[in-house]
Amino acid sequence: MRSALRRDREPKVDQFVIETLRYGTPLVYVTMAGVLASRSGIWHLGLEGLMIVGCCASVIGVVETQSIVVGLGLAIVLCVLGSVLLWFVIEKLRANPIIAGLGLTGLGLGGTDLAVQSIYGSQASVNAPFGLPRLGPAFGPYGVLSVLVVLMPIIVFALWLLLRRTRFGLRLAASGEHPFAARSVGAKPPRLRLIALCLGGVLCALGGTELALGSLQIFAYGMTAGRGFMGFSAVIFGAAHPIGSAAAALFFAVVGALGIRAQLIFGDQVPHDLLLTLPYIATVAGVWLSGRLRGGARAAATFGELRDY
Amino acid sequence: MKTRLIAVLRALAFVLLALVLCGVIFEFAGRAASTAGNPYSAILMFQSIAEGAILNRGAWQDSLRWALPLFITASGVAISFRCGYFNVGAQGQFYVGAIAATFVVDGMRGAPAALVIPLTFVAGILGGAVWALWPGVLRVKSGTDEVITTLMGNFIAGLLLVYVTAGILKDPSGTGQVMASRPVAAAYRISTSSGLSPTIIVIAVIVGVAMWLLVNRTAFGVLSSLAGRNPIMVVWQGARLSRLGLAGFVLSGGLAGLAGTVEVLGPNGRLVSGFLPTHGFTAILIALVASLSIAGTAIVSLFFGGLAAAGLYLPVLVGLPAAAIDIINAAIALFITARTWPGLERLFKHRAAAAGGG
Repeated sequence: MRSALRRDREPKVDQFVIETLRYGTPLVYVTMAGVLASRSGIWHLGLEGLMIVGCCASVIGVVETQSIVVGLGLAIVLCVLGSVLLWFVIEKLRANPIIAGLGLTGLGLGGTDLAVQSIYGSQASVNAPFGLPRLGPAFGPYGVLSVLVVLMPIIVFALWLLLRRTRFGLRLAASGEHPFAARSVGAKPPRLRLIALCLGGVLCALGGTELALGSLQIFAYGMTAGRGFMGFSAVIFGAAHPIGSAAAALFFAVVGALGIRAQLIFGDQVPHDLLLTLPYIATVAGVWLSGRLRGGARAAATFGELRDY
Repeated sequence: MKTRLIAVLRALAFVLLALVLCGVIFEFAGRAASTAGNPYSAILMFQSIAEGAILNRGAWQDSLRWALPLFITASGVAISFRCGYFNVGAQGQFYVGAIAATFVVDGMRGAPAALVIPLTFVAGILGGAVWALWPGVLRVKSGTDEVITTLMGNFIAGLLLVYVTAGILKDPSGTGQVMASRPVAAAYRISTSSGLSPTIIVIAVIVGVAMWLLVNRTAFGVLSSLAGRNPIMVVWQGARLSRLGLAGFVLSGGLAGLAGTVEVLGPNGRLVSGFLPTHGFTAILIALVASLSIAGTAIVSLFFGGLAAAGLYLPVLVGLPAAAIDIINAAIALFITARTWPGLERLFKHRAAAAGGG
């Protein structure tokens, strides 16, 4: 009786972990991009736009050339270009990072829509012939996950090393928190910000590719559905620490996966649309909590404006 | 006067820059479209947008139909930005206002219009105000960043809209495909589906005049715009910063809710799942392009109303993708808060130095 119950439960646990990782991996990648930007002093609200560009470019690349490398490369190139554009607008034109970031998001959402409609006519979505390489049957039920899922913890750890244990990382943090001090030791905050944003662009491309080609193998308009903003909130929740923010992102993923689970178990008894709001509510609660614990967010006077004059 | 002129020129210059960027994007997309058999050029795109916005017969009425609700929401956004709070949740407040209005107008079917219509407006305004109140309270009481809470509020409100239009408010006679509420009874409508009626114009004018007076002729207006620029100064003046901020939040939410009510009782005639998904973002843009002036907001609304009208015209009559309008809006957002151009500052400094020396 007991063993039967356990056998019944174990696959469900596996399923739950798989759902969490599927939901969470793209989220962790964009969150890391947000961590880099946040460290350099920019509140990155363009993550959503870069991510959808990553989704779209990787799928178009795969469809047109039948090569996953070209797809990923195209995604990376376009996301880095978008990041450079954002850097130019914020740093050189001194635009407000929040509004400029939202603009970049709009540009990504509209641009991918325009690209798909222009290239493939009025299709709602584009199917890719194949997706990212999977782990394979050697990993049991987890074999359905893509290689980028395994890469995720490595990237998080590498980012922690980069930010906390290297000269570059410390200078980056300095130029985010006190640009004047960073300058006094010979660092160039604008250049550091450019590097941080471009690295973030690469991470957004990876996140977008994982979302589009990891399990679904499809591009649909607006498929990121706020994940970029959720990643941004995870950065705030995790105080821009790579591991803390990744944990926050995974927490949002658990909430999202719980929603999916509850839907499978309880069916129509639970309103599906209201369950989908759970990650957003968790985000608000998390940001509220982190603000309380740290005695209020610092955005009061600055609202993310660069103070580097 | 001179600073105002410079502000206008600066806004125009950056809008122009955004349009140039859009032109480049359209040209590329148009070339790519030749594989699908429908190539277009950037010039054709801009020409079609101009036709859809003003040049065609009846186009300007259409533009005005879109401009009026946008103006109502945008003037609210301008108020909260003036108070120094980045309320980017106009979209959610617009949705919740529309939902609340629909509950009242749907629940009171059969009652006299003279009773239902005012109550619907009250419900819509309250709905929007409540949806702005909670981020405001969190901001003022606990320092929770309002950019995140209002953004998340947008997503939650969007899902709430899907939920009520698929559940409680769903039109039982409707098909499964379109999730919408029962149509609003003709007696309660304030315009036909064309969306232009004396009632709506009067509402927009009242909002415009009231907000202009509030900003330019009252203590609240003076203090709120001071609060946005120099909060410490306001505290020293003895004003309650948190109360000012909350008032800004509630006012902007209420106006967004009013715009939602206008859409439900007016042109839409019912609550549709996911309707006008870019309304709030466009309203924020309008407020920023107008550099938060109410009179400016009225003028800029016409431009963005024209773009919105063109967005409907493009795919239907010319066969061009409507995403072009979203791209124009986004590109303007990218550049509109820019304050300088590389080299420009140096040029001015140089001239100032020369003038000082001579």
